[in-house]
Amino acid sequence: MGIKRLKMPEYSFGDKVKWHAAAVGTAFKEAFFPHTVTVHYPKERRKFPDNFRGYILFDIEKCINCWQCAFVCPANAIRMKEAPNKKYYPTIDYAKCIFCHFCVDSCVGGALRTTKIHDVAYADVNEMLAETEQLMEPPEIVREDRRYVEYVIEEDDVRLRRVKGQDYLLVEPPPRKEYSMVCVCDDPESCTGCGTCADVCEHYAISISIEGEYKVIRIDTARCTGCGLCVKECPLRVLRLVRREGEQ
Amino acid sequence: MRCVAAVSEWRVKLVGRPKDVSCPSVVKTQVIDTGLCCRCMACMAACPAAVRTGVGFDFEERKHVCVDCEICVRVCPRLDYKPLSGIGSYIKAVAGRSKRFKGQDGAMVTEILMSAMEMGIIDRCIFVGRDEDWRTEILHVRDVEQLEVPTLTGTKYTFAAAVPALREAVLNTKVGVGFVGTPCMVSGVRRLQKELAVFRRKVKLVIGLFCTENFYWDELTEFLKERGVDIKKLVKTDITKGKFIATMTDDVVEFPVKELSAIMPSGCRVCTDFSAVESDVSVGSVGSKPGFSTVLVREENAKEVLDFIREHGYADFDEVSLEFVERLCNLKKKREANIK
Repeated sequence: MGIKRLKMPEYSFGDKVKWHAAAVGTAFKEAFFPHTVTVHYPKERRKFPDNFRGYILFDIEKCINCWQCAFVCPANAIRMKEAPNKKYYPTIDYAKCIFCHFCVDSCVGGALRTTKIHDVAYADVNEMLAETEQLMEPPEIVREDRRYVEYVIEEDDVRLRRVKGQDYLLVEPPPRKEYSMVCVCDDPESCTGCGTCADVCEHYAISISIEGEYKVIRIDTARCTGCGLCVKECPLRVLRLVRREGEQ
Repeated sequence: MRCVAAVSEWRVKLVGRPKDVSCPSVVKTQVIDTGLCCRCMACMAACPAAVRTGVGFDFEERKHVCVDCEICVRVCPRLDYKPLSGIGSYIKAVAGRSKRFKGQDGAMVTEILMSAMEMGIIDRCIFVGRDEDWRTEILHVRDVEQLEVPTLTGTKYTFAAAVPALREAVLNTKVGVGFVGTPCMVSGVRRLQKELAVFRRKVKLVIGLFCTENFYWDELTEFLKERGVDIKKLVKTDITKGKFIATMTDDVVEFPVKELSAIMPSGCRVCTDFSAVESDVSVGSVGSKPGFSTVLVREENAKEVLDFIREHGYADFDEVSLEFVERLCNLKKKREANIK
């Protein structure tokens, strides 16, 4: 294989003038209307999608004390703290948090939810531990933004679209499809009858009585809310949550 | 593999004990205080209070956390104790030496468990390792590579909490669990299987070890120290031909086994089961040439594993002379006299 030599194409004088003029035109255009994709934070903010993984908010009303957020956290950032009502609620150490939002995804009651807040400032490391009370209110941040920015793709090119006004940062969680669950025992032969389930049930749905030479364990399906606390606590894992009969 | 029927009302049979006596005190008075307890710890494997509070094998302490479920009474193999003895029923007896693994003798326990894992009968098994002070520690082995830990093989002559570890393994396994233990542990596992369906379904292979007696760690180390054994340097312990041999990195200490009877636990004084009669397969060094292990196949599932090993040529097989095993069985049967 020989080397193929390329020859400089012959351009006419007219073409050269035309292309020079186009280059000068682009230079002027960029000088007055620069085509950059940098967001000028804090004067403007990028508009993030609603499922952005930002600062986590906590709703104490929906928490069922299942500790799932603390168990699932891969960074061990969540610690459960005892409240005066003897229940345990999460605290998040933002020095450790990696914003994976496994806790939000795993939250059974939907008590943890995301926000689009990503710019909380702390003076020192100890401050980064957000107590339960702090998690219930959105954090104080300084908002200097007067417009928000979206990236739009036009003809293989990314452009910024700036819109006046402030973007909302507190996202309303999308409506959850609620399934009504109920607790059942699917392995009665492995049950020790220890009564742990009856102890932990907050709705007094599980009762244990002694009838003759048998211990009888009953789950009151009308009272059971399907929170799953007993399923988690059962030492031999004989309980399971199933969809309530008659539901899809 | 779970039961299909999901119920919201079910019954658990009660043992029928006096109302004013808590179940830990039943075990305490009838098993531990009478010296029958063999430390198989089957009670700890099932106890829901021990799981929740982390209380160990301490029945005084356990009284305070007891939830009165009677499971310890139901699973204790030494409560209404029916001593098993003799060589038991077996399908066949062979001597084997693993080609893949190295152990105290023929490494047949490791070979059987790993072959069962290869066959897909089990997906995890419980091994007993040791730390540098010769305290036993439990290892859940799920892959052959984990066996590279050098302290896993070899006899420790010390009690291990393998049965409590079985609970965790049973709850987490997808296929089944392989278990290896002394005859008393095997009896404990069988009682657990009898009482609780989850153990029945998930414990697929139980290997029993030939056992004359076992020792408490603190007493054994104290005894060995008196004999001039440096525990830190100890690499191997073995009992052959009536002698206890402690091999250290630079020295070997030998003494007759009979001297150890001073520290023999009371639970072993009343134990007559040498060959783990209730196991699926029993393994031990007695009865075969040096470097080989005697394998007594008792159940069909173990026979399948042995056939698999033979098919793949994972082990050498040899003749076994059961006279020695029987002699030790008879020797241990004499301990019946100690049971009051």
